[in-house]
Amino acid sequence: MESLKPSLFDWETVMHKGTIPFLALILALPSPAARSLESAYRMGGKEMHRAFEPVQAFLQQGSAVIKRGFHEVIFGVVVSSDGYLLTKASELGEVGDLTITVDDQRYEKPVLAAVDTEWDVALLKVSATGWHPVDLSRTEDLERGEWIVANGATTRKYRRVQIGMVAANTREIPPSGGAVLGVMLEEEEEGLNLSSITEGSGAEKAGLQKGDRLLAIDGTEVNLREEVLSCLDTRRVGESVRLTILRGDEKIEVEVELAGRTDIFGESMTRNDQMSGDFSTRRTGFPRIMQHDIIGNRHFMGGPVLDLEGRCVGMNIARFSRCETYAIPARDLAELVDSLIKRSTMISAD
Amino acid sequence: MLALRITLLLSLTTLASVAEPLSINQKRVPESRDDLKQIQRLMQSALPAARAATVCIQLGQGSGSGVVVSEDGLIMTAAHVTGGVGQEFTVVFEDGREVKAESLGLDSEVDAALARIVEPGKYPFVEIARDHPAQLGDWVFALGHSGGFDLKRGVVFRPGRIVRTTDTTLQSDCSLIGGDSGGPLFDLMGRLIGIHSRVGAKLPENMHVPVSAFLRDWQGLMDAQFIGDGPFAERPEVGKAFLGLLVEARSEGGVVVKRVGRESPAEKAGLKEGDILLSVDGKPLNDRDGLQEWLASKAPSDQVAFELLRDGESETLTLRLGDRDA
Repeated sequence: MESLKPSLFDWETVMHKGTIPFLALILALPSPAARSLESAYRMGGKEMHRAFEPVQAFLQQGSAVIKRGFHEVIFGVVVSSDGYLLTKASELGEVGDLTITVDDQRYEKPVLAAVDTEWDVALLKVSATGWHPVDLSRTEDLERGEWIVANGATTRKYRRVQIGMVAANTREIPPSGGAVLGVMLEEEEEGLNLSSITEGSGAEKAGLQKGDRLLAIDGTEVNLREEVLSCLDTRRVGESVRLTILRGDEKIEVEVELAGRTDIFGESMTRNDQMSGDFSTRRTGFPRIMQHDIIGNRHFMGGPVLDLEGRCVGMNIARFSRCETYAIPARDLAELVDSLIKRSTMISAD
Repeated sequence: MLALRITLLLSLTTLASVAEPLSINQKRVPESRDDLKQIQRLMQSALPAARAATVCIQLGQGSGSGVVVSEDGLIMTAAHVTGGVGQEFTVVFEDGREVKAESLGLDSEVDAALARIVEPGKYPFVEIARDHPAQLGDWVFALGHSGGFDLKRGVVFRPGRIVRTTDTTLQSDCSLIGGDSGGPLFDLMGRLIGIHSRVGAKLPENMHVPVSAFLRDWQGLMDAQFIGDGPFAERPEVGKAFLGLLVEARSEGGVVVKRVGRESPAEKAGLKEGDILLSVDGKPLNDRDGLQEWLASKAPSDQVAFELLRDGESETLTLRLGDRDA
């Protein structure tokens, strides 16, 4: 699945991108002196997972598998007894035709109840009762070297464990390339002209048009591209800014939500990316993450990360590379659950 | 009496192996939560010292990892990280402290290299597992500055087991990525057992150089030799050496330095305009061509010794030649 063509490793021909690359060798033919550990006893092996079996029960009830047809889209975290679950927003697409599996039950027609773009988290709701929400009571940051468990391969009835450990300091991941509006700006004598609006950006959603002139951001007058950059410098992905726009003779005000530069404009692959397989598209710009080493692809995100006692210590939010996975820590997740459920009930009350 | 002594010795050995806290390595897999907790506890208690000694190596445009193995700053890393002998680079500790270092010898066939911190001081270091070679199935952990130095993130940790061994390679399921090259692999006691070298075509194939491969070559590596003609470093080519001097013959013998190139090996070694070079590596110097001819027989990073006169005093000066194409 993580197919990495050997040619990608030809380090003579690939540009150095900041790190000294590994020279990948196709493993030599088994030499008589070589000794090998059977795969069942390795980190990903069946026998290895037996000691984690008590945690599997919590995974079985606390995680959700979100599918479109037969295709696994993403995992989710069960956060209420009555059908609420959290997942990774940017991997969902249209939610209407998704199915949700929790434990051995299948649920249809989920509703997108609320979204937090800063964390890239969506709250889904299905009609259900008797769910066992995850335990988010562990609020301290975990140290390197603590065992954790997440969703692995899954069947219709059974969630398999995947194991790993906490790998680094819990910290903020700034958006790669910074937060942007999603427009191209031309400096002209009269001011800043919007020469194009990027698809899928906050600027497009706010209805900005080619030919609009940008006068001010949050009340601060801008005439140069540099001034725009310095206005956005300290802002985060998911936050909104108020733009003052001149369209024709009319002055209008619009709210534009900021996106990560590379989420909007794409990014060029580094060598480390090439050896990392299928990583998450939205993988930077998170207020706080716990880093761990559980291997999975982008579709393995969204599910709970559990400790050996079965408590939920995080939710997988981005597969960053071959050896780096990011999870939202339990403390922040607990706050997100509260605010998103509150937001969704306010909307439905309207 | 003799029989008794043997029995005693035997029982002592048995006791010692029982006392060794690595019984977890004897199990095919952890059998309970207690077993898992034991692995966790051992790794977490080994981590502070292991992290403190794991460094980021910033060399030219690239960055790799390494580990300090002596109080005065000897570093073990991979040959494909230092790339050559006598390379100067910056070493960054996890807390952000930066010091200057230079590479010593390397073995281009097994991907082993040594370097040393050139600023005198006492540095955090780890013990090399000289008498405890890694065994198949042993629990281990990898550290490294994956993708380059990151102060907020710190050193990146990954656990795993030794899943394959050969004479020259350890394979583990600790996943590695660019920037980890040259970083350390530890056993559960926090002893250094290997250095990250390369990755396979599939995710769980991560290869490390066993410390035994370093120990075999130790003297040569300490003596800054370029060992072997393997794929991990390119042997400097004879005829490509660079000195950075303009000289003129002197009637009394020897050659006078007329100009010293900026940032050249000659300048770094402290050669000055007006110095009189009498001989190099024991060969008398009489004219410009003599020096050129001698240089053509040398390769980049060769160490050479000049005998010279400065202000009437005779001195000996050793320096390492540079690369003409660098």
